[in-house]
Amino acid sequence: MSHDTQPPQDGGDADTRGLFTNWVDSAIANPRKVYRAMFATVGIFFLFTTLFPLYWLTMIALSDGSRVSEGVGLLPTGFDPTSFIEIFQQVPFHLYMFNSLVFATLTTVFVLLIASLAGYAFGRLQFRGKRPMMLAVLVISFFPPAAFFIPLFQLFNQQISFLGITPPELYSTPGGVVVPLSAVFLPLAIFILTTFYGQIPDGLEDAARVEGTTRLGALFRVIIPLSAPGVATAGILTFIAVYNEFFFSFLMTGTAAQDWAPIVDGIISYRSQFQVRYDLMAAASIVAVLPVATLVVIAQEKIVSGLTSGALKE
Amino acid sequence: MATIELEHIRKEYGSDIAIEDLSLDVRDGEFVTLVGPSGCGKSTTIETIAGLTKPTSGTVSIGERDVTKLPPKDRGIAMVFQNIALFPHKNVYDNISFGLQLRTFDDTEIDRRVEQAADTVQLAGMLDRMPSEMSGGQRQRVAIARAIVRQPDAFLMDEPLANLDAELRVHMRTQLQRIHDELDTTIVYVTHDQAQAMTMSDRIAVIDDGDLQQFAPPLECYNQPANLFVAGFIGSPAMNFIEGKITGDGFRSERDIIDIDFDPQTIDARAGQEVVLGVRPEHVLPAKAASGAVSEPIDTYIDVTEPMGKEIFAYLVTDRGATVDMEDPGAAGQLLMSVSPTADISEGQSLSVVVDTSNLHLFDANTETAIAHGLAKQTGVESETTTNSGLSSDD
Repeated sequence: MSHDTQPPQDGGDADTRGLFTNWVDSAIANPRKVYRAMFATVGIFFLFTTLFPLYWLTMIALSDGSRVSEGVGLLPTGFDPTSFIEIFQQVPFHLYMFNSLVFATLTTVFVLLIASLAGYAFGRLQFRGKRPMMLAVLVISFFPPAAFFIPLFQLFNQQISFLGITPPELYSTPGGVVVPLSAVFLPLAIFILTTFYGQIPDGLEDAARVEGTTRLGALFRVIIPLSAPGVATAGILTFIAVYNEFFFSFLMTGTAAQDWAPIVDGIISYRSQFQVRYDLMAAASIVAVLPVATLVVIAQEKIVSGLTSGALKE
Repeated sequence: MATIELEHIRKEYGSDIAIEDLSLDVRDGEFVTLVGPSGCGKSTTIETIAGLTKPTSGTVSIGERDVTKLPPKDRGIAMVFQNIALFPHKNVYDNISFGLQLRTFDDTEIDRRVEQAADTVQLAGMLDRMPSEMSGGQRQRVAIARAIVRQPDAFLMDEPLANLDAELRVHMRTQLQRIHDELDTTIVYVTHDQAQAMTMSDRIAVIDDGDLQQFAPPLECYNQPANLFVAGFIGSPAMNFIEGKITGDGFRSERDIIDIDFDPQTIDARAGQEVVLGVRPEHVLPAKAASGAVSEPIDTYIDVTEPMGKEIFAYLVTDRGATVDMEDPGAAGQLLMSVSPTADISEGQSLSVVVDTSNLHLFDANTETAIAHGLAKQTGVESETTTNSGLSSDD
């Protein structure tokens, strides 16, 4: 049938037509073939763009440091896995990582705490002005964080005062990073938690309150445990975002590990006046990715939905 | 153990009024049921007692203590919810002991109390299960155990059996009564199921449209309903209503279906007053079998019969060829009769029936309040007009 409806483009018989023409013919007869081909194309493209840089980074890290400048292809140039040890010997890279982890952990704790209270109010209470307030949170979340930077920088360096009050010097302390980043990542967490807390049946909160908790107690003893997947999602997103954040964590801190400099300063410090150790930079980058990668793998198992199924008869 | 007292409770949600002006006085150890149709305000009432809802005005007292402004946890009450509301992330033991743990009892005391409560509701040996592994009836028993373990002053139960299947519901009903007998604690119980209300309670509070209609023992609500609403709501199938007027010598129905002779003076009715006559299906009798204080026979035709086993419901119409309007059981010209299954009746047959005049109810058509119950004879009618002792009527 396809012979009649799809005349071959080169005008020849089935024998003389090209491979591509034959494939198109059979694909028209069997569309699933096209979907498979499209899936394969997209899949390969996606895997290539995400995994190949990581692969190449590993190859650079494994290369011999003195020969990296010759160029690195699909295989390392020379072989020297000791760069994974050298990164800790040359600079206290573990301290830089510790700083970044402290920023991420503190911010996550603050964000979850504040967003839980906000999410409870937005998700479970009825009050006047709720929609405008949620809209305001949404709008603020679209402001570019860079816009806040200069005033905050001056404030944290005690160059200006706020309402006549000069805050403690937050520059080069975790506060200088955690405070602005908490504000930046709060809106997303608020929206996630609002949705999750709003889904917990009122009966459970009522039961907890009759049994002896306050509203806040019910939030922490019943609503948050039951919203574990949502809390985990909000927490992990915040943690990863802060850990990866460049702008505030780079500019609000000094360049030495003891000045609360983050990972990016550690990586930069392998570049000296006379040489650039690309292999060490690559090795440090890979090591820096590990905590987040581990977190995602663990969290994937923790994020189980349907925890509330079977709890209530509807 | 405690009394519960509601005084002039009013609750508005925006412009909607859920409770108009409700006063209720529950005695110590009493089992009181709030009953009414959906949306009548009975759940709002129990939530107000629990403290989950703040009344717009009025006061709530539990055990002579004004608790209107106290949070639920400080009211000394426990509650069983319609949706059971067990904490799904805690096992049975932790669910039952939740309240005790919050109140820092020592561990041995908690263990002892939890086991005792689990025994009471026959849950022993299931303490380490999760709620999701249990059946509906078991979960409901856990919820009851959670309520009794704290030994509260009063129990509040908001349709606790509504989500159980029919068989389990009857079983749990008996269990609840047994628990009430054992603990002797004040219970306020909400249901829209009048079978539960009739069987379990010491007194029923019939609520409609945010107003208390009658507050009396179940049988009093059944035999001496305070108004048209209570008469129609309590009893299944519902009471027959016949509209008519008081004349100098008794009751005349609108279309001369039924006339009852009595002296209006004796029951405080006046001639010309528009009234509604109420008669329960079991007080409509076939004329042949009836004797004593009965009305003149009425000629009817049997439209539909519903054999229920222990009785037969027969829908009667006064006009041959008319059909019963099931949507409006109170429509003129139709009567519902309940007869014993041995009665020889069949659909389409004509039947002469009488009503038992000693069990008639007369209501004012405008105010809808009861005028009299039982119009036994032409003279010497029992004039029990105000039998509703606990009633706080608004008119």
